[in-house]
Amino acid sequence: MIDRIFSALKTCGIEDYQITMTKEESAELFFIKKELDMQRRKNVTTANVSAYRVFEEDGVRFRGVASVSVQESQTQQEIEKLFSDAYYAAGFVKNRYYDLYAGTKEELVEVKSTLSEKTLSETVQGFSQALFAEDVHEEVFLNSAEVFARCCTTHIINSRGVDVSYRKNRVWGEFVVQCVDGQDVETYQDFAYDDWNTDALQEKVRGVMDLTRARAKAKTAPAAGEYRVILTGGYVKELMQYYVGRAESSMIYQKYSPFSAGCDVQGDGVLKDRVNLTMKAVVPFSGEGIPMKDRELVKDGKLMMIHGGNRFAQYLGIEPTGDFGGCKVPAGKVSLDELKAQPYLEVVNFSDFQMNDFTGHFGGEIRLGFLYDGEKVVPVTGGSVNGNIFEAQKTLVFSKEMQVEKNFEGPRAVVMERVLVAGV
Amino acid sequence: MKVKQSEYLKRVKPALVKLRDRLLSEFPYASLLAQDSTAKSYSVSKTSTGIGMDAMLTGRGFVAKVYDGTSYAEYSFNELSEDRVEEIVAAVKNGLIPMSDRLPEGVKKSCYAMLADDPLVFEDSTEYEIDPEEYGDEKIIGRLTKVSEAGRAFSDKVLDCHAFASYQKCSKLFLSKNRDMEQNVLWMCGGVDVMASRGEEVKDSYRGFSLLGGAELLDEIGENVGSVAQNALDLLSSEPIPPGEYECVCRPDVTGMIVHEAFGHGVEMDMFVKNRALAKQYVGKQVASELVNMHDGAAAAKEVASYFFDDEGIPAQDTLVIDHGILKAGISDAQSAMHLGTDPTGNGRRENYERKAYTRMTNTYFEAGSDKVEDMIASISYGFLLEEASSGMEDPKNWGIQCMVNIAREIRDGKLTGKIYSPIVLTGYVPDLLKSISMISDVSVLCGSGFCGKGYKEWVKVSDGGPYIKAKIRLG
Repeated sequence: MIDRIFSALKTCGIEDYQITMTKEESAELFFIKKELDMQRRKNVTTANVSAYRVFEEDGVRFRGVASVSVQESQTQQEIEKLFSDAYYAAGFVKNRYYDLYAGTKEELVEVKSTLSEKTLSETVQGFSQALFAEDVHEEVFLNSAEVFARCCTTHIINSRGVDVSYRKNRVWGEFVVQCVDGQDVETYQDFAYDDWNTDALQEKVRGVMDLTRARAKAKTAPAAGEYRVILTGGYVKELMQYYVGRAESSMIYQKYSPFSAGCDVQGDGVLKDRVNLTMKAVVPFSGEGIPMKDRELVKDGKLMMIHGGNRFAQYLGIEPTGDFGGCKVPAGKVSLDELKAQPYLEVVNFSDFQMNDFTGHFGGEIRLGFLYDGEKVVPVTGGSVNGNIFEAQKTLVFSKEMQVEKNFEGPRAVVMERVLVAGV
Repeated sequence: MKVKQSEYLKRVKPALVKLRDRLLSEFPYASLLAQDSTAKSYSVSKTSTGIGMDAMLTGRGFVAKVYDGTSYAEYSFNELSEDRVEEIVAAVKNGLIPMSDRLPEGVKKSCYAMLADDPLVFEDSTEYEIDPEEYGDEKIIGRLTKVSEAGRAFSDKVLDCHAFASYQKCSKLFLSKNRDMEQNVLWMCGGVDVMASRGEEVKDSYRGFSLLGGAELLDEIGENVGSVAQNALDLLSSEPIPPGEYECVCRPDVTGMIVHEAFGHGVEMDMFVKNRALAKQYVGKQVASELVNMHDGAAAAKEVASYFFDDEGIPAQDTLVIDHGILKAGISDAQSAMHLGTDPTGNGRRENYERKAYTRMTNTYFEAGSDKVEDMIASISYGFLLEEASSGMEDPKNWGIQCMVNIAREIRDGKLTGKIYSPIVLTGYVPDLLKSISMISDVSVLCGSGFCGKGYKEWVKVSDGGPYIKAKIRLG
């Protein structure tokens, strides 16, 4: 297909372009209770072509772009029509001029993974075995689960020398644990692994079963008021996404974010921990073909770099880093036991946690929390956390204990003082 | 005018028929869903303009579904010709089917009957006034640029105004032994998002628009930019709300979020199969005020989730979910209906040909009532008018509410005071909220500017809405 794309680009007189070809194969199993409800396979190849056009108006240079999807089933005439229309449309996209990212031809990168030693069927079967290995109880069990194994080859070519490709295997999915001991409750959990980490999945299932047992015993919502709130698990990552989002080049260039290189991301009046954060590369090349590597984003509360793709990096006069898929936060200095020595509301499960980069608002409905009043710990459910990072970031304390989540490595818990909770 | 048939589907149909027949020679049941879809997105803000095809919604591809006498399996692919038929049959027989040979200990394959396959042959298309493809990228970008400029010119406190629109023209062909159906659907949606800043904080106000049709939608976006910009400015002086239970009037977009997130997900009957929905125990019982009638269906309204048959070849329907407060029925895909011994309701939907079909909502709404909006506001001594639904999450198992709205306008002694609170989290127990509905307006609006996920994936286009409703809601 690539030859047909090049031929059509030439016919249409398109000199600046980017082609992204993706070949994806997957094996998928869908379970309800202890039955396989559906099995699926996928084998698809797609290409996305961006046609760029440089033009001037009133002495100002612009670079416009329009993107189209191309498939093998299209005739050469159809592809040429698509490209010609895209090139024409790019002439109305008045974005300030920038150069396309310039790169070189690289050999195919096979992303190292123990998953590549197995077939997709073996992978999806192996992880399904791990998923069900803990499903041996009467009162708490897997309600349903989906497991996907995928092998994806991505090839990125542009008119300024980029010609890179990589192949990556991944297994991911989700499961729901139900507990009927007391109340009938459930917990949703997703997972993703880039290696044959079936032990980690089994441990995750075990942890979610424990959590769901606890939720079955939670009956009341916390009283409305201000709490010393502890967030754990994936919610630590979600909270950190505020800093990641605000440090993104397009947010800064468009003045949606006040961050600038070297700024103090936590503002004035920080009383507890300073934020440290490293962006983590999860693929060898970005969507524009930029080689990806881990980079320090925030050190002791200071913004060390602005991250993002080629266009906005050029506008800001900084190095393009590519778009990152993950991040790392170092361990804090205080143990979880110490963090829990004072009264707290620990929320371990929200129905849907939201972190708004613009307003700084974070929160969600509490599915399961543990309320410690200084004497006893009581499981709670209901009510909602309604906090704002602008205030909360002054009192952040990260746990010494670490966790490895999907595209995140960081402390297992973070504490914030005086967070508003709408309860009963 | 009616949306035209896909030339590609016409061209590839002989190969599809050959593949269907080959699969039927191997399996007792086989069906094929073919899709040819083009979707484009446009956006304009102060420093950025974009035109692109939407990868999730664009593409040509196929799903083969087969029944081996026990259960179902699917193969998604996007390259097909008559020469490749044997290759695909081999992939199904040798790659797909053996996947269930090694199941975890104690796990077995589900045992299903064969899907009903009563004869159905038809072709139909939705209607539009202006074809966005013919209208052209230049004019669409030009219109959105004017909207964006108008929003930015509204006040020097406005940071940016993002105007956007997208459309999908989608043709589908469903083939089984006895069914040969084709549909061609065009929808368009768009919106405007105005941002204003106060120190570190950026507040934004958003309004979405949609229709089953084409570029005629663009008029509506332009007409509303001023009110959205004013809301963004008003939000700069907003405060967090004191938590508590209040009498509220919900604008149709907030009504829609309650209908969809708080209740609609709970009547998706694949959740009944998994025992994940409390609603299963409430069929035939009162779950809402007697004033409430709720519908879902691709044939229940003409909006972005309208179609003629679903992704499993089941004709679209209008399902009366709640009848005067009584839960009458859920909605289902074909496989869930078989499991439960009910009739499928035409709600089996896929994100695209690459994905599995699940029970999904379509156009979901409460019926209009007879109250005037001004009477509803006047009836409140202290409470709020809730506007701008921003996000929501389902909890079918426990009927917990997790919805967020951007604006709560204070009502005191039956009048809006001008004071606003933001952001607002709605919590509580779904039947408590629905049973507290005491007034329903005579105006009703549906909108489908966004997508609905199943959990955190499987995005499909939906619309929701209805009238203004008055209810008691816990806000925080």
